[in-house]
Amino acid sequence: MTSTRRQFLSAALIGLARKTDRPVAGGFVDDGHQMGHKLRDRAPFAPAKQAIRIPLVIVGGGIAGLSAAWRFDKRGFRDFVLLEMQERAGGNARWGENEVSPYPWAAHYVPVPGKKAALVRELFEDLGVLRAGVWDERHLCFSPQERLYLHGRWQEGIEPLTEATAQDREEFRRFAARAHEFRATGQFTIPMEMGATPSPLDNLSMDDWLQQERFNSPSLHWYINYACRDDYGALAHDTSAWAGIHYFASREPEEKGPLTWPEGNGWITRRLLEKLGSYVRTGCMVHRITREGRKLRVSAGDIDYIADCVIFAAPSFLASHVCEDAPPARLVYSPWLTANLALDRLPAEHGFETAWDNVIYDSPALGYVVATHQSLRTHIDRTVWTFYWSLAEGSPSENRALLLAKDWNYWKEAILTDLERAHPDIRQCVSRIDILRLGHAMARPVPGFLGSEQRRRLTESSGNLLFANSDLSGFSIFEEAQYRGVKAAERALERL
Amino acid sequence: MTVVLFISVALIAACGLIYELVAGTLASYLLGDSVFQFSTVIGSYLFAMGVGSYFSRFITRGLVARFVSIELLVGLVGGFSSAALFLAFAYTQGFRLVLYAIVIAIGIFVGLEIPLLMRILKNRLEFRELVAHVLTFDYLGALGASLLFPILLVPKLGMVRSALLFGIINAGVALWSTYLFRDQLGARGILRISCAAVLVMLGAGMAGAERITQAADANLYADEVIFARDTRYQRIVLTKWKDDVRLFLSSHLQFSSRDEYRYHEALVHPGLAALPGARRVLVLGGGDGLAVREILKYPDVQSITLVDLDPEMTGLFSTHPYLATLNAHSLINARVHVINADAFSWLDQNTDSFDFVVVDFPDPTNYSLGKLYTTAFYRLLGRHLSMQGLAVVQSTSPLFARQSYWCIVETLKQAGLKTYPYHVYVPSFGEWGFVLAGLNPYEPPLRLPAGLRYLAAAEVPPLFQFPNDMLPVDAEPNRLNDQVLVRYYERDWREIAH
Repeated sequence: MTSTRRQFLSAALIGLARKTDRPVAGGFVDDGHQMGHKLRDRAPFAPAKQAIRIPLVIVGGGIAGLSAAWRFDKRGFRDFVLLEMQERAGGNARWGENEVSPYPWAAHYVPVPGKKAALVRELFEDLGVLRAGVWDERHLCFSPQERLYLHGRWQEGIEPLTEATAQDREEFRRFAARAHEFRATGQFTIPMEMGATPSPLDNLSMDDWLQQERFNSPSLHWYINYACRDDYGALAHDTSAWAGIHYFASREPEEKGPLTWPEGNGWITRRLLEKLGSYVRTGCMVHRITREGRKLRVSAGDIDYIADCVIFAAPSFLASHVCEDAPPARLVYSPWLTANLALDRLPAEHGFETAWDNVIYDSPALGYVVATHQSLRTHIDRTVWTFYWSLAEGSPSENRALLLAKDWNYWKEAILTDLERAHPDIRQCVSRIDILRLGHAMARPVPGFLGSEQRRRLTESSGNLLFANSDLSGFSIFEEAQYRGVKAAERALERL
Repeated sequence: MTVVLFISVALIAACGLIYELVAGTLASYLLGDSVFQFSTVIGSYLFAMGVGSYFSRFITRGLVARFVSIELLVGLVGGFSSAALFLAFAYTQGFRLVLYAIVIAIGIFVGLEIPLLMRILKNRLEFRELVAHVLTFDYLGALGASLLFPILLVPKLGMVRSALLFGIINAGVALWSTYLFRDQLGARGILRISCAAVLVMLGAGMAGAERITQAADANLYADEVIFARDTRYQRIVLTKWKDDVRLFLSSHLQFSSRDEYRYHEALVHPGLAALPGARRVLVLGGGDGLAVREILKYPDVQSITLVDLDPEMTGLFSTHPYLATLNAHSLINARVHVINADAFSWLDQNTDSFDFVVVDFPDPTNYSLGKLYTTAFYRLLGRHLSMQGLAVVQSTSPLFARQSYWCIVETLKQAGLKTYPYHVYVPSFGEWGFVLAGLNPYEPPLRLPAGLRYLAAAEVPPLFQFPNDMLPVDAEPNRLNDQVLVRYYERDWREIAH
């Protein structure tokens, strides 16, 4: 009797409940961890069938590796190959595409470089983005650039200033003034190597520094934590104050930006591959690098390359798994998750118009970027959102384990639940969610990173094994990856 | 205790007056003729109060319970009165019926309130004091409401929310009364649950108030709607009043058939008549075919390409008997090619050049439309102009949106074009602005096609003169990565609206 009554009641309640959610397709994509774990566990690899003598090998087809190739090609040096583990080059500047739009898988913008960032400007001149000192408007992020969901509606910009107190505003102003002072010291440059000198700020966390400077506004703390999570995948508590300040003090944009494209930095990868594709071998995992006299034997799949010089542009921690005399891996890396959501209609929302970058206040994730934002069309009814989530809370190794332990459905639910706060009907709009898990997405500039012995050994590595990943700078941004790649190429050219 | 009681009296009185003011104001706002509306609303309201007072004598038992129920009814009807009136105006033919039904219902209930309350209180006070106090607080409440309504409520909360707020106060008084008079009340539980239910409904109304106003506003057309359709891109509405047909796209007025000739003659002829060699013409936007009608007055023009986003729009203006007559069947003319596409990306992929381009887009009300007014768009436009070619740009009002207008001029300049701003008076729009732009200097035409209703050749040069209140003001150019125009536009029109 009780059970039938309960059944009756629950049936009645289901009738009242909202429409059942539509099914969502999707899965994990491009998992790199299986290959990485084979290296870590020293799994056996079949012996080579063929040996090729070649002056130089680049390991890793992300921005660092491609930038080394770009430099070689411009200097007329063409006797090299670039080996990429994945089926597609790009690393953190990979992209995907569906019938609506191309979309990024990770890095999605480059801040408009200042006059000092000569290499970045040179590249953008080559790609036609910068012509006679003028940036092409179509490559600059369209208005509106950013918005924040706060107090039940979207506001323009991501500084949380809706309903801010006078103290909040005062602290935002004071923080901007401090950043300006730090900029004037000339120590906070891009590339970082040009200005960085040993600094007591590196011994503090960003959180400690904020306290030391008596910044107490919760809004400011949220904002700075957001910046650290966004650029370093870490909380302010786990970020070196030097790096935290670098984020705010290093950039002097001469134009309202950033530079961005539907496929994010995948656009740069694409354009570089148009020029450099002939050097690139994808699906070629380097599993061993051994010394043979003055040469290096690079084993990748069933080919051994016998090279005079190797540029190791893949994440540096991988080197200790494949290479006997590589420095041990002690850098800290942040795990990330990115997801691309296909929307076949746009959700209802409240407040300021859809921007390029859309952030939800107090969310553990970082928000989403709209792939169709750079479209010239005025009417858009289908789109792709790239959802970013740096798992910053807790320890990186535990978060990496969590990333692998939970299934797609778990992450799908977590993403939709997060978005539901700002878009209650999001489940009716999304037809597909593809998820990329990046266990070692980016180097994390923890306190002490600047003066760390490990980083010094990697940057000063000489001989014929040269390191080039952005992790040499301590943080993963486009400009650092490009700088490290080009610099390694120039040192290699001196040797050859 | 007694003070608390009299405060309820003041609150009830305030609520009653607010509903009356809401009804009177809405009727004046929507129907016009405010003297007539206020007189009839106040008259029927007071009369209904008398009816209520008379009927109060038939209530003999359960006074407190009846009082609480009446409070709840007033709260519900009064609270939702404003929303109901807006929606009735937008969606039904019977606005007046709804208006007076609501006014009379509220009047009757309010008329019942005070006699009942006095009878409830009669054992607590001497009659002399009771009457004096109740009426004093009644009139005090009325004073408060009549001051609050214009100063605070309408500007800050708007009509829909103000009524809902006072509905909540009514329901609050009801709930409060179940505690105040608990000794005179039998079944308190049910009454309290009803109070809670009414409060929840009114609270939900408050939360959804914006949606109600939007739903109503989108449908606020002064005249009879003769055609309405929601397409994938916009809502197309045609209204008719006597011989005046008006087109609204997503509730923005596009033209009035009475004076559209002024707009379209001024849009086309100052530019096109100055280009005797023009053969190929492009129209961006303008799916109503009215600009094309003007262009077809030039026999030397061989081809006209019209690019409009919405196929239902161009379809309607090709086939609807009245509309096709209005544009002189221009869209089915053999020289005209209609393309349904998003203009910016279409132009980006097209390589043709044109002698004359008409750029007739909706005003830059948001960042999506704002892209069509950027240096990037105008540079692209410049690349599609032939050597002697000209483009004319619809550029909002130099009077009402002065900085927006001069921002568009500045943006065209920054895109490397020579600009020739001019303006015209269109009664249904007010002063309206255009900009001619080209790679070469422009000279006004000496002759215009025959049969124009508004423009004569001698009248063209004066269009380029701007009186003092429309002279250029400083403005940044509008760029894709920094759309100042959308901000200017919002500010300009907000200032006009206040």
